[in-house]
Amino acid sequence: MGSLDSYLPILFLFVLAFGFTAFSLAASKLLAPQRPTAAKEAPYECGIVPSHEPPQRFPVRFYLVSMIFVIFDIEVIFLFPWAVVYGQLGRFGLVEIIVFAAAVFFSFVYLVSNGALDWGPLKRVQRVVRPIGGRTSQSTVRRIGSSSDEAA
Amino acid sequence: MLTAPVVLLVDNPPLYAHGVGLAVVLIDLVRVLVGLVALLGAVVMMIWFERKVISDMQNRIGPNRAGPFGLLQTLADGTKLLFKEDLLPGQADRTVFRLAPFLSLMPAFLIFTVVPIGGVVTIAHHVVDLQVADPPIGILLVLALGSVAVYGTMLAGWSSGSKYPLLGSVRASAQMISYEAVLGITVVTVVLEAHGLTTRQIVASQAAHFWDWNALRLGVVPFVLFFIASTAELNRPPFDLAEGESELGGGFHTEYSSFRFATFFMAEFMNTITMSAIVVTLFFGGPDGPGFHVVRWLWPILWFLGKTLVFLYVQVWIRAALPRLRYDQLMDLGWKVMIPLSLAWLLVVAGVHQSTTWGLGVLGGCVVAGGLLFQSVRVARRRREGLASGGSSFEPVPAAPGLRAAATPGKVED
Repeated sequence: MGSLDSYLPILFLFVLAFGFTAFSLAASKLLAPQRPTAAKEAPYECGIVPSHEPPQRFPVRFYLVSMIFVIFDIEVIFLFPWAVVYGQLGRFGLVEIIVFAAAVFFSFVYLVSNGALDWGPLKRVQRVVRPIGGRTSQSTVRRIGSSSDEAA
Repeated sequence: MLTAPVVLLVDNPPLYAHGVGLAVVLIDLVRVLVGLVALLGAVVMMIWFERKVISDMQNRIGPNRAGPFGLLQTLADGTKLLFKEDLLPGQADRTVFRLAPFLSLMPAFLIFTVVPIGGVVTIAHHVVDLQVADPPIGILLVLALGSVAVYGTMLAGWSSGSKYPLLGSVRASAQMISYEAVLGITVVTVVLEAHGLTTRQIVASQAAHFWDWNALRLGVVPFVLFFIASTAELNRPPFDLAEGESELGGGFHTEYSSFRFATFFMAEFMNTITMSAIVVTLFFGGPDGPGFHVVRWLWPILWFLGKTLVFLYVQVWIRAALPRLRYDQLMDLGWKVMIPLSLAWLLVVAGVHQSTTWGLGVLGGCVVAGGLLFQSVRVARRRREGLASGGSSFEPVPAAPGLRAAATPGKVED
């Protein structure tokens, strides 16, 4: 245990898998035609000539998510050694992890209530304007001959 | 009954006990080669299986031309892709564009190494466990390589220099890291039970009876959470927003063609197989099951293959049955439901390990915390409604000082 010997097959597989991928790509290069044109090299736009550069910016929300992820990932990293030795830690381990989880959880609640994890555009609240008497057959059905601009 | 106990774990890693000699290297090479060939064959079969099952569910026939029952269809497709022109988009970052398929495919190969396929056998006086490798970090390797695979997706989209791949890759990486936390926490729940990180230990800790399988012993919740999170991690339907062909063309691999495109698909299907195998390992006892005295080494392998096949079928079934989620639903499900639930379940399991009283106490605490979270979601929603209906007419929420100042960034949304 503890020595690096047991990683030997992973190293072998890494070399083999790399070789397989590289060989396939090289074979594809040899076998496939190479006739690039400007149209083929243009960004995919369903056949339309692209008019804009691809955007360099995307919503800041994605950065927020990755920051919050780091918090949780670090929590998970701390949880693993704890879980392995939990049998020996006993009640102390339980209390300890509850305090730790609570600390992370409260910051998470703060983030959620701040709307850090809300997605999508704001929904505009639209008021439905109802006509004051409601909709009746009198107000909605147009009767033939009742209006003046209609030819008799 | 001719049942015989299956040997799943022996003390001290047997193969490397006397150092690395020629025989050990040979055995390792054989294991790796068998693993590689089996994995590639499994990918070919899985693609055929998925297409065939889905076409059955959609009342179609599916592939039936190449080979019997269309079995060779995948090989035909692969050969076709090999002969297709490999385009490099003009605006692409060439190095990263070429690197990304490797970053996607290599982890897919390597994750499979830690999956225990069978029991322990003796080959030429060497005790060998039937899995490609059994490193001490075990299940952590799965999580680590899973994170590397995110780079493949992310860099593939980013380096394409095109808008759909960029959007697809940004979505994919946010989605994958969101569900990675759930994967991690549910795996911790399993490790709590196994007292060790290696997949052998995890499998051996569930070996006695089928009610000792983690899926039942931990309550069904961690298994369900892990399964959903693994589906999201794989970018499979209903979580395939990274591809989203109806809105993004094809997502992160829109600009890829020829065999580079095939590598992404191979990686996806390989990961599907591996994740199903890991669900079986973590929650269903891996190769555990009743064996018989004839050809004793074979039964665990059959059990493992059978269980994995069930989950592969379920994956395909889910793909055929469920519509794609909307992005905000996906993120809400991951962050506001699954992460808190998995964390709470972990604490309850840890509490029950002490005593029932502790377990009930922790459960009560978790219910209170759940209420708090629900309340905070409502606070966030009320703020959004306030912003939507007129910006400045924001109603401060009682008992939440300091929220108002932080509300301003919410306005600069798209």
